[in-house]
Amino acid sequence: MDLIADKISIIQSLWPTMLKGLWMTFQVSMLAILLGSLIGFTLGVAKTLGYFVLEKLINGYLHILRGSPYLVQLYIIYFVLPSTGIAWLSFDSYTAAVVSLSLYTSSYVTEIVASAIVAVPSGQSEAARSVGMTRAQTYRNVVIPQALKLTIPPMASVYVIVIKSTAILSVIGFAELTRAGEIAIMRMPGDIMFIYCMIAAFYFMYCYPVLRFSKWAEGRFGSAGQIEH
Amino acid sequence: MDWLQYYFNFRIVGDYADIFAAGVAQTLWISALCLVLSVIFGTLVALGRMSKNPMIWRPIAAYIQFIRSTPLLIQIYLIYYGLPALLPQGYGNIFDETQTGIIALTVHTSPYMGEIIRAGIQSVNPGQIEGALSVGMTPRQTLLNVTLPQALTNVMPPMLGQTAVLIKDTSLLSIIAVFELMGAGLQMFSETVIATESYVTTAICYLGIYAMMLIISGMLQNKLGGKAWKAN
Repeated sequence: MDLIADKISIIQSLWPTMLKGLWMTFQVSMLAILLGSLIGFTLGVAKTLGYFVLEKLINGYLHILRGSPYLVQLYIIYFVLPSTGIAWLSFDSYTAAVVSLSLYTSSYVTEIVASAIVAVPSGQSEAARSVGMTRAQTYRNVVIPQALKLTIPPMASVYVIVIKSTAILSVIGFAELTRAGEIAIMRMPGDIMFIYCMIAAFYFMYCYPVLRFSKWAEGRFGSAGQIEH
Repeated sequence: MDWLQYYFNFRIVGDYADIFAAGVAQTLWISALCLVLSVIFGTLVALGRMSKNPMIWRPIAAYIQFIRSTPLLIQIYLIYYGLPALLPQGYGNIFDETQTGIIALTVHTSPYMGEIIRAGIQSVNPGQIEGALSVGMTPRQTLLNVTLPQALTNVMPPMLGQTAVLIKDTSLLSIIAVFELMGAGLQMFSETVIATESYVTTAICYLGIYAMMLIISGMLQNKLGGKAWKAN
């Protein structure tokens, strides 16, 4: 009984710090998914327009972001950009976190949006063009509304990837959930395993419903392909 | 080339070339070992997940969900600090950092591989197997000539994608002091304190590995063909 009472008192004393960390994780992951979707949507649509050079450039961007680990990208944005000497590139940890995560997210979103647009049957856009719609109208009123529905399930999976990637932000001292846990461990080094399990439980409670939603939405709306990870 | 040296001092990078080469080698063999282990354990996970016995598939499903819903970094910490306590008394430190890292990455990657393998096994049309058996093939011939080639072709693209993720994930092992490519970059940074050369070189090495992966994937695509590739 003593053991349980002890653990409960640990939870009680760590609760406020952990919630503050969870709030930061929520904040930064929300910002990243919003900005990342914005960039990704633009690039994804641009990729399907059929301009060869544009497509190659976007592919290069995707390869660079998908080919290097997020940890390296974070280090480059946090440590390398300030050494270029350009003042506004010297980000604090919050800006660096948001910028790097948004770029990282955009690489996933671009592929999802592009493949969703391709997945819309070509008869749809041909029909729209044949009744006299311009190309822009076809995209805005016919293709994109149908494509966006297909992006919902993979976007939920991407959101889970973003939430999980925020844990890496702890290495640059960003005060999110994992960092809050590490600070708590400095205070109570004896309970290291319990505190890490507690952090894992927080992440689980955050990510699991999103994953379930993704699964549900896949049956409901169909999907524009799966993403690894 | 003097202007380039102002931005990127390749002479210093040249001094650290052997450290980076060692880092690349370390990253490659750690990923290769983790890949083999996680395909083996992934097959077990897939078979366990497809079992009809709830005593088997429920724990496996919980394991898959836990791994998918928590960050790799936390899993690495849990195994790094928790593994010694789980082992019997006196055997607490038989695994060094690298071995612990390999265990952690295998534990992390197996469920993903398992889900891919499960989808691959389920993707083979049962009519194919029935057809093969009905023309007089033995079950063994059916497995080797009909089921496995199709399952393998279907599974290859997501598995290569997961391998690319695995290679990138090894960079997180640098946080528990495993020497690999990211560790090489960190070592160069701690000795020279020049961020650009240390981290950009690391990124270039990772991109090189990724480019190699793309080439291998293209070669496999030519060799295996099949409709599963067209989706990518």
